[in-house]
Formats: sequence, structure tokens, C-alpha cells
Amino acid sequence: MAIATSYYLEDMDTRELPRRFLDVFSTILSHTNYALVLDAASRMKARCGRCADTCPVYQVTGEQRDIPCERSELLLQVYRRYFTFGGNLRARLGDTFVLDDAYIERMAEDYYRCTACRRCKLECPLGVDHGLITHLARWILAEVGLTPKALVVATREQLDGKSHNTSGIPAPAMKDTCEFLEEDCVDEHGLKIEFPIDVEDAEYIFFPAVSDYLLEPDTLMGNAAVMMATGASWTIGTDDFDGINYGLFYSDRLLDRIVSNEVAELKRLGAKKILIGECGHASRSAKIFIPAFCGGEDAPEVINIMEYTYAQWKSGKLKLKPNVIKQRVTYHDPCNIARSGWITEEPREILKHICVDFVEMTPNRQDNYCCGGGGGTVSIDEIREFRTMTGGKAKADQIRRTGAEIVVAPCANCKKQVAEVCQDHKLDVRTCGLHDLILEAIDAPEFMIIKKDDDEGEEA
Amino acid sequence: MDTWIDLAKGSLFRISLAICLLGVAYRFGVAVWQINAAHRRAGDKRLPVGVIVRTTVQWLLPLRLFRKRPIYGLASLAFHLGILLLPFFYAGHVNLWGGVLPTWWPRLASGPSDVLTFVAMAGLIVILLARLLIKSSRDLSRAGDVGILLLLLGLAASGYWAAHPTSSPFAPRTMVLIHMLAGNLALILTPLTKIVHCVLAPLTQLIGEIGWHFPAESGRRVAVALAKENEPI
Repeated sequence: MAIATSYYLEDMDTRELPRRFLDVFSTILSHTNYALVLDAASRMKARCGRCADTCPVYQVTGEQRDIPCERSELLLQVYRRYFTFGGNLRARLGDTFVLDDAYIERMAEDYYRCTACRRCKLECPLGVDHGLITHLARWILAEVGLTPKALVVATREQLDGKSHNTSGIPAPAMKDTCEFLEEDCVDEHGLKIEFPIDVEDAEYIFFPAVSDYLLEPDTLMGNAAVMMATGASWTIGTDDFDGINYGLFYSDRLLDRIVSNEVAELKRLGAKKILIGECGHASRSAKIFIPAFCGGEDAPEVINIMEYTYAQWKSGKLKLKPNVIKQRVTYHDPCNIARSGWITEEPREILKHICVDFVEMTPNRQDNYCCGGGGGTVSIDEIREFRTMTGGKAKADQIRRTGAEIVVAPCANCKKQVAEVCQDHKLDVRTCGLHDLILEAIDAPEFMIIKKDDDEGEEA
Repeated sequence: MDTWIDLAKGSLFRISLAICLLGVAYRFGVAVWQINAAHRRAGDKRLPVGVIVRTTVQWLLPLRLFRKRPIYGLASLAFHLGILLLPFFYAGHVNLWGGVLPTWWPRLASGPSDVLTFVAMAGLIVILLARLLIKSSRDLSRAGDVGILLLLLGLAASGYWAAHPTSSPFAPRTMVLIHMLAGNLALILTPLTKIVHCVLAPLTQLIGEIGWHFPAESGRRVAVALAKENEPI
């Protein structure tokens, strides 16, 4: 049968799909640690429904299939039936469950209704990580050809394409963009900034979400302004300048290849640390999986640009003018950096300093609601209505309650999604990154300030 | 009847207890072995021990549950307290354990045990009602989920009536037999059902964390095994 999903798929081989699914499942279990997780979840899953209370998708749809526990059960049932002694025994005693095309189609659909935000994990009394089970299920589905086309196309360009990035930006175009941003920053903000390209032996090599080069000039200018003001030794590599890692959303082996490429670029230029731009999943995939795949304790250190900026501000190297932003501002916690409690306070402290009227969304920090575009779904344009009106409804309600005029979403994916959520929910709110506002508030050192006369003089 | 009761509290109890103890020891042992193996294979062996300990304690003492769902949290605590304390500390049960427990072992008198029994039953009823009345819980529930709660409710109720024959609606000896059979069944089911969380719960947060600690070569090995190492995306 042809597999039908709400998202576009590439042409795929649908012959013997269940057998191929089980072959892949078996292979993955042999080479990974997932069996431990599936065993524990299978034995202890309480099916209490508490995870349902936390899921922003279920809260809107009320559909049983959107309960995290029920979604995990889709894969656990296959695991128990085909990979455990008890399941084999039950099959011989009359258990009629058989994996078929329709069941795989259901998995392909349901596992992409989850935003992998892992909010449900916080509420599971038995610690079942439904996000991890979704992660595994998507990998198995990917190996049989069931991944949203949007994610595959982007990853193909990043790993097999000429540009080595998900947006298909050639390195010369990236350099041109950086030069343009340098000029624009002088014109718009009167600040001299630089984007060092292919500098060897720098302290940091910078990987923003590559889409920032196309869509978020203020974020990038803010990043560069902070680096310039603090005298940082940093560079952007031309072989690989994309922090985006869709492998995190659908394939461990691609996740491995993407982070390995980042480390290879670091080594090519002799940089010491990896600096990730404002992007939640790019940060988490580098922070967690560079050590996993590239050397454990010996792997290069990974930090997020917000950590860098905060540390520099606290140390006094970076000066920010207080109360520069007059509008009401709220902050959206990207799941990939907040759910574990990794980065929650740093941006808040900065915002409280530079904004006159900072208000919190509720809930926030580790308890935050996903923007609705997590798990790579933000890139799937054909499911926009589901993303914004279902997955993003909780976020829209949160934003509306704050009465904020600006939502700071320090993540490329969240920024796109929150902007679309606000548009579809008729919220008149500006969405931006943290460094967009820092650019407005930076108390730049003298050498960065370009007076209008100087500028004209230079041009002459 | 007496013959059946002797059987239930004699051989049947010993067999049930053996199944329970061996079963949970096996489950626990396998889990520890798997955790150890997974940790050895992990590319990054560093674990956030503080976070794991904190979240484990948070769930063993259901602090988060109280914050989010106070009634459910209270019911859960009440039920777990009763179910964990009564089998080992109610004086009547201590006698049943014979010489296994030391002479100094504390014994709960009838009064406190009755209170604990009622508290546990109230907790069980709240949890049962939540499972039946809250849509998400009802949708997820299988017969076994409700069955285990009913079994434990029956175990507690029959225990009370067995200890207080004058208030029992059925023949007192019948109630004793029902209580013993229900207790033996609960013991047997412990390693075979989700009740096994009574021993695995301290490991669950650790398992969740280790699950994200992927083996260094896992992606590459899967690619080779699937003959996809040179396959374009």
C-alpha cells in the first residue's frame, strides 16, 4: 500500500515494509543503548495519563493518539511482540498483534505530531522519556524511507550537497552577507563589527543556525557586536558554517555525521571551542552529542552564544545600557536549552537589565511550553495549520496573557514558529532574538563607534 | 476451609514469596547489568549525577506530584504507605513471617493498622476514580491497570475484615482465605507487572539519562550493518 501522511514524503520503496522496519529495529537495538530504555518503559509504564496534562498537542486535540504514553506504546508494542521472550510467547498463545503497513503508517503520522519537547518527561512518575522513544521511532522510520521530505532535503544539502549547509548558501554568498552586515551595522547602528572568516587558531569557531544569514541579520550583528566589544578571538569557517542538525530529529547516524563535520571544521582551522549561535537544537545537539560521538571528555568544549555574552557581561568586559528597550518584553524558553535547566537564567538577567518592562510567561524555564514547532516540524510548511493552531496554541495563549509587544525567542526554529503562531493567532507581537536587543543596548567601546562624519569620510 | 487457609498461608505463600523475591531480584539485576553495559558503551561517560539523584528523590518522595496535583499526590502517597508498611509491620503479618523477622522488629498494633488500611483504601479509591473519570487516564487504561488496583483494594478490604470478623459481610474464615489468596496473587504479579516499579523506581531517572548517552560508534555501526555507509541521503 502507499503510505499517506500529512507531510510530503520522497518516493520510497514500500515493498516488505514491516520486514524492513523490523530488520532496522533489530540492527539499531544491537548497536545502541535503546533496549535498556524500551525494557524499562515496557515493564513499568503506568499509563496514568499524567503526561497528557503536560502535552500542548493533546491539550488542544484531546485525541488519544496524542497522549505521549499512547504514542510511545506504538513502538513499545512492536518491541515487546518481536524482541522479547514474553511477546513471542504471547504470540504463540494467541496474541494477534502483527506489524503491518497500516500500523507503520500510523507511526509515521503520530511520531511527527510530537514536537519532541520532552515536557512530558518532567511529569512521568516513572521517568519514562517519551521524547527519547519518539527519537528512536523516527530513526527507524527514517531508515525505511519515512521522513518528512523537508527534513531530508535540507540534510541532504548539508551532508551531500556542495554548500554543506541546510539553506544551500554557498560560502562566497555567506561571506558577501557578512560584509553586507558589517556595512549595515555601521549604517543602522553606527557600530563597527567584523565577521572573521577562516581565521586560524582562533579561540572560538562559530556555528549559528545558517538560516540566520538569510533571515536574522540583527541576531548575527548582535552576535558579532558582542564578540567585537569583548575582543574575542573567533572565526567562521567556510567549509562548514551551519549549526543546524536535523539528525537530532530523525537519525542518530546523521546526527553523528553533522556534529563530526563541525569538529572537523574546528580542527581544520585549529580553533579551540565551538560557539553555537542562538539556536536551541543546534546547541543541544553540539553540547550533548559532540562528546558522545567525538571523543568523550576529550571533545572540544561547546558553549552557546548566550552563555558567552552573559559571562562577558558579568565579568564587566561587555557593557549594556540599562532600560534601553521601552516596550514590554517576554522571553520564550527554547525546549532544547531549557528543559534540562541548561540555559534559563542568563538571558533573563540580561533582559531584566536592558528592558524597562520584562514579564514572564507562565509556565516558564524547565516547565515552558514548546513553541509548537519543535522536533523539526517547524520546517514542514505543509503542516503549518497543525503547527500553529494546535501545537502552538498554548504558546499563543501564553504570549497573549503577557501583553508583551516583543517576544524574545533565542532559537532560529522557535523564532520562525513563534512569528507564525503570532500571525495565525492574530497577535501583534514582534519576535526576535536576544542579541537583536543586545545590539540596541550595547554600550560599545570607543573603537567600535563610527561617527557619521567618519563613516562619510571612509566612504569618500 | 481450614485446609485451604493452611495451604494459602503455608506452601502457597512460600511459593508466591519465592516467585516475588526471585523475580524482582532478577528484574533489578538485569536492569543494573543493562545500565552498566550501556554506560560502558556510551561515548560520553560523564553523567549529571546531581540531577539524577535530585529527580530520583523528587519522585520517590512525590514532591512534584504534590505541587501539580495535590489530591492525586496525597492519594498516591497514602496508598503507597499502606501497601508498603502493612505487609511488613502489622502485628498479624509479622506473626505470619515466623522466624524470618528479628524479635525487635516493630509491630503495628491493630488500631494504627486499621487507620493505615483505611488511608490506603481511600488512596486507592481516589486513584481508581481518577483512572476511570479522567479522560486521558481512561483512554490509556487497560483491563490490567484497573485489575491491579481492584486486586489491591480487595486485598486491603479483605485484610480489614479478616482482622475484624464481627464487621465482615461474609463468613470470617472466607475473608481470611480471600485475603491470603489476594496477597499471594499480588506477590506473584509483582515481578510480572508494572508493580515491579517498587524495586526499579530508583533506577528510572538514571535509565532515562543513560538512554541519551549514545555509544560513540552507534551511528556508524548501524550504517555499516544496514549497508548504508556510502549511500547518499
